[in-house]
Amino acid sequence: MTTENIIQHDVLIVGAGLAGTWAAVIAKQEGVQDVAVLSKIHPLRSHSGAAQGGIAASLANVRPVAGTGPRGPLEHVPDGDEPSDSWQSHMFDTIKGSDWLGDQNAIEILVKDAVDILYEYENMGCVFSRTADGRIAQRRFGGHQSPRACYAADRTGHVLLHTIHEQALMRGVKFYSEWYMMDLIIEDNICRGVVAMNVLDGSIHTMRAKAVMFATGGYGRAFKITSNAFANTGDGVAIAYRRGVPLMDMEFVQFHPTGLYRHGILMSEACRGEGGYLLNSNGDRFMENYAADKMELAPRDLVSRSEQTEINEGRGVMADKQGIFLDLRHLGKEKIMKRLPEVRQIAVDFLGMDPIIEPVAIQPTAHYSMGGIPTDINGRVLADADGNLVQGFFAAGECACVSVHGANRLGSNSLLEASVFGRRAGYAIAEFINGGAQLHPVSGDPAQENRARVHKLFTNEGELAEKVLEELRETMTEKCGIYRHEGTLSEAKEAIRQYQERMKTARVMDKSSRFNTDLLAALEADHLVTFSEVIVAGALARQESRGAHSRTDFKPRDDEQWLKHTMAHINGASGPNLSYKSVFVDYDRYPPQKRAY
Amino acid sequence: MTNQTQPPKAIVRVERFNPDVDEKPYFEDFAVEVTEEKTLLNALQEIKNEQDGSLTFRKSCRHAICGSCAMNINGLNTLVCNKPLNKSLDKHGRVTIKALSALPVIKDLVVDRTDFWRQYMAVKPWLIPSEMQADKEHRMSQEEVEALHEAETCIMCGSCYSACPIIALNKNYMGPHALLKAYQRVMDPRDGGMAERLDIVENGREGIYTCRTATDCIPACPKGLNPARAISTLRNMALRRMEFEHAREKRQEAG
Repeated sequence: MTTENIIQHDVLIVGAGLAGTWAAVIAKQEGVQDVAVLSKIHPLRSHSGAAQGGIAASLANVRPVAGTGPRGPLEHVPDGDEPSDSWQSHMFDTIKGSDWLGDQNAIEILVKDAVDILYEYENMGCVFSRTADGRIAQRRFGGHQSPRACYAADRTGHVLLHTIHEQALMRGVKFYSEWYMMDLIIEDNICRGVVAMNVLDGSIHTMRAKAVMFATGGYGRAFKITSNAFANTGDGVAIAYRRGVPLMDMEFVQFHPTGLYRHGILMSEACRGEGGYLLNSNGDRFMENYAADKMELAPRDLVSRSEQTEINEGRGVMADKQGIFLDLRHLGKEKIMKRLPEVRQIAVDFLGMDPIIEPVAIQPTAHYSMGGIPTDINGRVLADADGNLVQGFFAAGECACVSVHGANRLGSNSLLEASVFGRRAGYAIAEFINGGAQLHPVSGDPAQENRARVHKLFTNEGELAEKVLEELRETMTEKCGIYRHEGTLSEAKEAIRQYQERMKTARVMDKSSRFNTDLLAALEADHLVTFSEVIVAGALARQESRGAHSRTDFKPRDDEQWLKHTMAHINGASGPNLSYKSVFVDYDRYPPQKRAY
Repeated sequence: MTNQTQPPKAIVRVERFNPDVDEKPYFEDFAVEVTEEKTLLNALQEIKNEQDGSLTFRKSCRHAICGSCAMNINGLNTLVCNKPLNKSLDKHGRVTIKALSALPVIKDLVVDRTDFWRQYMAVKPWLIPSEMQADKEHRMSQEEVEALHEAETCIMCGSCYSACPIIALNKNYMGPHALLKAYQRVMDPRDGGMAERLDIVENGREGIYTCRTATDCIPACPKGLNPARAISTLRNMALRRMEFEHAREKRQEAG
């Protein structure tokens, strides 16, 4: 290996959202000197910042006014009163929300650490909305029995991301901003570094590290209608898979019930948490037919399915009958402007519809990736279903699957998961480095291999990568969306095979070295066609319906056959090799139950 | 005879510049179909996908929260992700998109923000812990939080910075974005660094006294914030700092 362009760090974290930045902050705090974070966009542009409605923790700062029932108005809990919420309740809600596929040991950590990490955010200067007595304000969210989503108006992710980024700056974390990770170096089950491109000048570098962490985010860009940022192309997930790391539960993709009609942009669940209604073309609150108890605040999988059923049965709104109305008018102008200012502006800007005076058209939108790179409860990446580890490789946040969300994530649990498991990964990394971890040699010249990959894209004469992607997104939405069955999934499988072939000769238009976003998009496209195959393979194999995975040909949940995690390993040209891993269930405390809301 | 009407086309005029090959910036026109839901960002992306992949711009979240896509549209700085194409056209059916002015161009609509982030770092954007006791969380009043909302909503897009006439002349000026961040921290009852922060922003001719209250930062802000007012508040506080520092001490003792 040539020594030019080689960069070395003790710790190299890929991705600068909540998970990656927390890990960097903690590693520094624990005495690791040399911590670097690489991100393809500036850290403050990370998609964690787009989360709107809240972050869950059983702080018990608010409760429904006595005698008004579970949907009544909220008041703060006076000092000294009985706590109105508990981690046990948060735990049960998360398990039920996951349709029992979440690992209960990991969920217990999530909900217990939640309380502490919220206070840590507050003590770091995070700006939260407040209760009348000055505590962190909380609101209702779907699938949670208590109002436990802590919030800052409807820009909660924004304030959390800025807060943790500031902490990283204070501690002297080194940032490689606008560097694009192209490859992961693993030899003999030991992670040795990554290959990355400096987007500014197109130079490609081998970056060695004693510990590598992926915090690269989700994979929602594989779908046509999505709430996800342009950046959420599942790069880390696809790259890890190609290098032999398994992917877990990839078939579980969350569709959020309230994406803006035709745009897919998120209208926060806080809209319903604050009391918004969903209406069909008859003006009916149709959720009473699907979740009579929880109504609009049922979990997302159930609400999205209900909306899709209304649409499929001809009760959608707008000219093409593909929308549903979100009605906030009864909340009143003052509450909307105070609690939901950002989403109101989104509706005005993109649809010209003002929620203060009219219902807003929405539709389900691909939102969150429950699956990803499997890890243990300390962010250490699993090499297989038996629990063996990939040495020196960590992951957390949406790219990872620990798994706390199982088959369906509850709203306000994602900011929490990224924070809690990012922080835990930080401690585990520090322990690994401080315990004497070494830089391991790298054979060959991985940077050169990736320069060849770029050269090929520059000299290819096939179609444009974007053309292939358009078809992929259409296929994933139509054939692997909210409702799935063997026929559509088999078609999707075949189609994706062809997209992968076509990508081999895809070309780019921009062949310059300076800030070449055309080249990045082509590399991302390659990642999208890679992991989409795994989503479809898992969905095709799983002959049951559970959480966000709804098979019209296998409607019931089947705990006897399918209470297990899917593990997908790359297997040359013949597609993923599927195996299964048991779910951690505490049968005494939280045995599987029927899931009704 | 069928009467098929073509969808109307808009001219998207973009200022292009790749310093590696172009001697100077130049304008290029692209024709794009106008549809009701198309945003300026959608139009740029469509041009990139279908007409010229080398057209270069930053983007990410698509809904005005990540701060990536600030540009100059028809002479005004703003984000392109939440601006409808059809409402941005002049009487010739044209929209002109340029990089944020006053920042060096890296390529086309992508600017070099090195100075911008350097100034942000200079104000120490993180909370400096104080002696204030926290019973789990610190207690804060609605009024205290409201004051912070005037700054924490900032997405660091750079629209105000680029619009500032002082920045155009003096890159050592801290700029409205960094001073707004300083304001957020000074106003935060939990922060222990009021004296240090006021020293930083008062520092010679580069801080709060360099602002000439031109107020171009106000219309430029896509989040409706008012950096000029925040700077003027900081000036007030700096002039009467003993009073404010004393009030802060008392506030923190009260917890």
